[in-house]
Amino acid sequence: MKQTSIRDLLYETPGPAARKKIRVWTGVALAAIAALIALIVRQFAETGQLAERYWSFFAKATTWRFLGQGLLTTLEAALTGAAIAFALGFTLMRGKLRRNRILRGISTALIEFTRGVPTLLFIYFFFLVVPQMGWKLSAFWKITLPCAISACGVVAEALRAGVNAVPKGQTEAALSLGMTETRLFYRVVFPQAIRFVIPSLIAELVIVLKDTTFAYVVTCADLMQNAKVLISNYDAMLSVYLVVAVIYILINYLLNKLSDVLAVRLHSPAERSAAA
Amino acid sequence: MNMETPVIELRHVDKHFGLLHVLKDISLKVYRGEVVVILGPSGSGKSTLCRTVNRLETIDSGEILIDGEPMPAEGRKLASLRAKIGMVFQSFNLFAHMTILDNLTLAPVDVLRIGKKEARMEAMRLLERVGVADQARKVPAQLSGGQQQRAAIARALAMRPEAILFDEPTSALDPEMISEVLNVMTSLASDGMTMLIVTHEMNFARKVADRVIFMDDGMIVEESDPEAFFLHPQSERARDFLNAVHSH
Repeated sequence: MKQTSIRDLLYETPGPAARKKIRVWTGVALAAIAALIALIVRQFAETGQLAERYWSFFAKATTWRFLGQGLLTTLEAALTGAAIAFALGFTLMRGKLRRNRILRGISTALIEFTRGVPTLLFIYFFFLVVPQMGWKLSAFWKITLPCAISACGVVAEALRAGVNAVPKGQTEAALSLGMTETRLFYRVVFPQAIRFVIPSLIAELVIVLKDTTFAYVVTCADLMQNAKVLISNYDAMLSVYLVVAVIYILINYLLNKLSDVLAVRLHSPAERSAAA
Repeated sequence: MNMETPVIELRHVDKHFGLLHVLKDISLKVYRGEVVVILGPSGSGKSTLCRTVNRLETIDSGEILIDGEPMPAEGRKLASLRAKIGMVFQSFNLFAHMTILDNLTLAPVDVLRIGKKEARMEAMRLLERVGVADQARKVPAQLSGGQQQRAAIARALAMRPEAILFDEPTSALDPEMISEVLNVMTSLASDGMTMLIVTHEMNFARKVADRVIFMDDGMIVEESDPEAFFLHPQSERARDFLNAVHSH
């Protein structure tokens, strides 16, 4: 399916002069990027960052196994957190769309609260305050729960935007067929709403995944925490951070690709075959 | 004097949109098997009137009765009375994320608790009847406007309604698609379906209507049989309206 890109919407198709200009500037930009990379590598070489001892331990399987374990924990925390955030966000969205003033007020307040407080504060709360209240949580939940809570308000608002984007006629048609408001929400409105907001939800999943890097605060052995262990073991900060950054970038890139695939997939089979 | 209970009855219905008085003391009866067409200039309140019947628009005062039962303000009773009255919209409003077939089976299964298999067979029969059976597996966006509206009529029929409301069913259609929808409606009328139709299609109204209601400025100005209305309109406003419509 050919997706209409933002570029198609914002710019007209370039003519010959514009195409020439684009070619020239593409060349200039590529040259600039190459120069920048060369500069970075030279700086590394001059300051001794390319020395063997900073990189040799990446040849060991144990290093990768250790990072892999961390990555697994990171993914587990991110996905669990995202699932909880979705459940909480859905509940808050339903609350905010209620006619009941009290329910709506409470939901709105919770949404604004969770959106307004930085994730790190929630983490400190679960790390320092919750144990004092006599609630014992493992390190995993001490990072997962605050990340989920921090994201749920944004998820609620994204879902609400999706629900509001469904044309009113869809609801009216369902009402005229004798469906109750609850049934028509689940059968008619929400299935359409979720399609509208898949990209926002995946973007929020990426944010949750990045928030889990705060796991070192609660000493949960995620990718970031394990990276820190490697750094102190081998006294090699830059190389480890560089490798870990590449891993994070790859995962988030894949998630964004997934978002594109889902956007197409979630159209009904018939629609897809027609577009193909 | 007709002694049977009307399928649809409005008693002294009033409605405001803010300061605008859109329905002024409307009383109206539609009997079983009757085809009532509402005509009038835009802004006269005819669409609003149509939408109040199944409470898609609320009313300020007055009463609406379906089969002699007053329309409640909310709850399951309201839903079950709505299920008795089908509605066809100007913009079709087929469920965009479902196939045409699923559009037709959703409410019968969900509301009437008809078995899935039976609902599907009934749906295919109805799609056949309105001439879009070959589109059953497609989603609404893949159909032409005329096909979508015919499918929407079939969706209303799938609920085995006692009456169907048509709110300007051809106003969003290209000229060549209007007739295919009007043909379906004409055949429904001759099969004895009770219909309340808001439309701008004068020839269709004249041919199909048992009764014509002319509205202007939120009021029912005239109510008569179609021949009388089109040949000898009683009111000045109806004459102006017909002149404006026929002058081109």
